[in-house]
Amino acid sequence: MNDRPNVVIDVAGLTKTYASGELQVQALRGLTFSIDRGEYVAIMGPSGSGKSTLMNVLGCLDRATTGTYKLDGIDVSQLDDNQLAEIRLKKLGFVFQGFNLLARTDALRNVTLPLFYAGMPAKERERRALERLTEVGIGERARHKPTELSGGEQQRVAIARALVNDPAVLLADEPTGNLDSKTSSEILALFDRLSAGGRTIIVVTHDEGVAKRSRRILRMLDGVIMSDAPAGAPV
Amino acid sequence: MLAYFVEAFRVLLANRTRSILTVIGLVVGVATIVSVQVAAQGMAGAVSGIFKGTNANTFFIFPKSTQGNSVRAALKLSDLALVQQSVPGVASVIPFTPRQSIVDAGHQRVRLRFGGESDKRFSTAPLAAGRTLDSEDVARAAPVCVISDNALTRLFPNAASPDSVIGTSIYVGSRRYVIVGVLGKTKIDTAALGLDISNDVAIPWTTFYNNYQRGSSFFGISVLADQGADLKTMENRTQALLTQTHGAQYQYFDFGFFAQTINGFFAIVGLIVGAVGAISLVVAGIGIMNIMLVSVTERTREIGIRKAIGARRSQVLLQFFIESLLLSAFGCITGMLLGVGLGAIVDRGFIARISGVTGSIPWLEAIVIAVGFATIVTLVFGTYPAYRAARLDPIEALRYE
Repeated sequence: MNDRPNVVIDVAGLTKTYASGELQVQALRGLTFSIDRGEYVAIMGPSGSGKSTLMNVLGCLDRATTGTYKLDGIDVSQLDDNQLAEIRLKKLGFVFQGFNLLARTDALRNVTLPLFYAGMPAKERERRALERLTEVGIGERARHKPTELSGGEQQRVAIARALVNDPAVLLADEPTGNLDSKTSSEILALFDRLSAGGRTIIVVTHDEGVAKRSRRILRMLDGVIMSDAPAGAPV
Repeated sequence: MLAYFVEAFRVLLANRTRSILTVIGLVVGVATIVSVQVAAQGMAGAVSGIFKGTNANTFFIFPKSTQGNSVRAALKLSDLALVQQSVPGVASVIPFTPRQSIVDAGHQRVRLRFGGESDKRFSTAPLAAGRTLDSEDVARAAPVCVISDNALTRLFPNAASPDSVIGTSIYVGSRRYVIVGVLGKTKIDTAALGLDISNDVAIPWTTFYNNYQRGSSFFGISVLADQGADLKTMENRTQALLTQTHGAQYQYFDFGFFAQTINGFFAIVGLIVGAVGAISLVVAGIGIMNIMLVSVTERTREIGIRKAIGARRSQVLLQFFIESLLLSAFGCITGMLLGVGLGAIVDRGFIARISGVTGSIPWLEAIVIAVGFATIVTLVFGTYPAYRAARLDPIEALRYE
């Protein structure tokens, strides 16, 4: 690790096989790549290419069948469910297509949730959550429930929640998939800003427009990486 | 830990209709059990109160009806003196002569309990006017009587006061008795409960013996014990003494038996209602489990979010478990308060009105019942849904629509 201190995600020979009845489905067929701290990477591919599976593995929601995955210097390939939960809590922030905020719970309390599970005192939780909400430009809407917020605002809340525990990596799965173009560009501008601020961001998308905003694009097909090139390079 | 309670409380509050509907079963179940407990306690208090009101220190002894030689077993005048002398603690011994007679006073003709008593008072009713029977009445077999409050109202419906009938006469058949005393109301209306066996018209037992005794033997004898004497010992001694003297079998009876029988009856009623309540609690518990399972399914996505964010299994388990706990605690406490209220209404409005004794509210039992059931219901019916929630796969859960 010391030889590559800047690497935050290091994947080697990663495979994932699902047993679907008698059929063995190989979703990932041996991926090897690494992502440095502060990189802004897009993972692209058509549906069935394995990008969602990769996202789940990178997000520690799922374990690879074989291969190693080191996140922020920790080998997470062999961790049990509780240890993975701990990694998700401390090292990762998720942004989903469907926002995935808790309904009937206001923005502020949605953002405090990771801190709640981290066991932080209530006052401190709220202070930090409000800080994050302000950072993503929605501090004044902190006491509104998701149903009272627009899609863009909801996604901002989700981003604030993903960032509140200061994660090593921000993982976004089709973050603009449910948004109109104007709101999409606002969210992408926010990502640009976060990236400029030094955040490591991985966006899974099939939208070229979204991918272009990143610095590097991994293109997947049938469980393998077809290309790994800087954004703007010819496809 | 407190944070989990706050969190669970918020969730339940956010779904308040569902929460309330869930606990109604539990509220009803606990309320039933607690109210029966409170009412039974009141009943027990009332029963013991009633027997404090009558002569708890009186017992009756008579030949067993099943024995062969009833002539040998017959109790006679000589037995009275024998018991009086040989059994310690005896205040008074008289023939036991339960009897109803037609009593006339003026134009009134009423059927009343009529019998002999000694100068030692067998009734605990307070004296309203005149005097009680005295030793001279008994010695002289005087034609005098003391009448009860019941007799007063029925024989003299127009009497201005108990005092106004002192010195007037009543007739039993052709025999005339002068009223020397009138008793007031007993604290407890034992007559209304059908528990009163004291006389409405009491004459000296010697007078009764002279006027109404046929043959030389009586149905039984009643013994008044000294205050604080041990009734059980005296009953056994008297029984042994009479058996030895007559070579026959005797049985005795006191109000304690009565109280035991009645309390036993209420204990059984309590048990039956308790069993029904327990069944309703099981049903309520299953209701809670059902709602919690529905809640887990309904909130699959929420659980997925929580787990994706980094909630550990144990944290999700704890959250749902505490929601169950809060639900059942709320249900049981509400049920307890409702039950105590209902029980107190029954006790105060119904039992106490008859018995004159207000039972104390058995808070301890009520709390034990409520806390006990909350714990059991949570442990039995809250664990499984919480376990189901904790076991959910976050990827599957997030995909759930």
